[in-house]
Amino acid sequence: MADKENILITGAGSGIGRAAALRMARGMHVIAADLNADSAAETVSMIEADGGSARAIPVDVSDKASVTSMKGRIEKDVGSVDKAFFAAGIYIRGIVCDISEDHWDRMMNIHVKGTFLCCQAVLPDMVAANKGVIVNMSSDFAVMAVPAAAAYMAAKSAIYSLTKSIALEFAPHNIRINALGPGPIDTPILQSGRSPQEYEDARLMLADKLPVGRLGQPEEVSAVLDFLLSDRSAYMTGQIVHPNGGQLMW
Amino acid sequence: METMIVTGAGSGIGLGLARKLLAENYRVLAWDIAPGDLAGVNDDNLAFHQLDVRDADALAEAAAEAAGWGDRIAGLSTCAAIYRTAPFLEIAEDDWDDHLNINLKGTLLACQAVLPAMLEQGSGSIVMFSSLIARRGAMNSAAYAATKGGVLGLCRALALDHARAGIRANVVSPGIADTAMPRRVMAEADLFAKGDDIPLGRIGMPEDMVEAASFLLSDDASFVTGQDIRVNGGAGLF
Repeated sequence: MADKENILITGAGSGIGRAAALRMARGMHVIAADLNADSAAETVSMIEADGGSARAIPVDVSDKASVTSMKGRIEKDVGSVDKAFFAAGIYIRGIVCDISEDHWDRMMNIHVKGTFLCCQAVLPDMVAANKGVIVNMSSDFAVMAVPAAAAYMAAKSAIYSLTKSIALEFAPHNIRINALGPGPIDTPILQSGRSPQEYEDARLMLADKLPVGRLGQPEEVSAVLDFLLSDRSAYMTGQIVHPNGGQLMW
Repeated sequence: METMIVTGAGSGIGLGLARKLLAENYRVLAWDIAPGDLAGVNDDNLAFHQLDVRDADALAEAAAEAAGWGDRIAGLSTCAAIYRTAPFLEIAEDDWDDHLNINLKGTLLACQAVLPAMLEQGSGSIVMFSSLIARRGAMNSAAYAATKGGVLGLCRALALDHARAGIRANVVSPGIADTAMPRRVMAEADLFAKGDDIPLGRIGMPEDMVEAASFLLSDDASFVTGQDIRVNGGAGLF
């Protein structure tokens, strides 16, 4: 384990974050961070059962004190963060007139401020090491428009913009920052706010609208993540890559 | 053993990709107007066809040989292209036609030659090459820019047409890279000096493009289709 690089993954307790943790644990020590400590611990158990090494850390990415405390624990336990995937996110549907201030604030705080705070926490180590790779979780909806998702679209666009700016700022330090822009993936986020029947209907409807005719699996996103985190993409920074079944082409 | 087909395999990115795919244990069918540096590659799994991508009959014949091996054709990458510069008003009709016929029509014809076998097997990954110049433009490069913009549209349409049949089609858009192509229009020192204006501090290497193409050809990109992967060191983020 001493020779393994450390990767910090937020939102590692479910969906794409968990699939990413399992995939990256093939070669790295995974720090599985999640608001839900139990689900992060469950991800760690899955990794350990697979022969990998990982540790769970609870974090509220929208809270600077919590992110700072997470960083402190990582420093104490394993040292520095070599690579990071910031995947913590939520999805709340709602037409614009129904978006409450709380809904708006949570959307912005978890996605935009959370990504910002987490980048801010890990970049000093990477600058000191003169290397590092970060992947932020954006969405097809950073670019393409859908109704009833104004807050989510605004948040995901902001993450993409943040990614591009940070990429330019830290390129001289040999640090690469890219974004993932998934399309419809079969994750718990698709189930949130939907009854089982509504979830099933949504899956069928989304699959039918996609060029490839099926939803993506979290593992298909983490395979792209693996490419973006590896030296295979050494000449890519500030980009958004879309595992989206052809939903958006631009 | 699965087969990969590469056009423009005699030099530059195509050559690098052919080598990489051989190292990944594919049988590689290399197509180009001349073997170029590929002549120095000795590998039983490499077969070279001397052909011009403007020649539909030659492409069909070469594709038939691949199908005849009975192995799955895992992918096709269309790297064959030319790049010649000229001020807009001085672009000769011949020059325009050469660019369009090799870079764009040649891509279409190569896909048309290989797609039937892919459709029959119900799978296949196609990787085309556009360029940063398609979106950003470049001085004295109208003909080249038009073809590379055309590749983006061609790829998306192909991706939509055949998505349900299990075919994926994507694009790699390199920035300026250390190949013979830019050396035809600029001096050696100027080429490397371009790295100073690129966020990651260097021009691209053929390997950078090769890695992106081999990723897109592989099953790791199973949910990626119709996309343009921009491998440009952070030049022109938009």
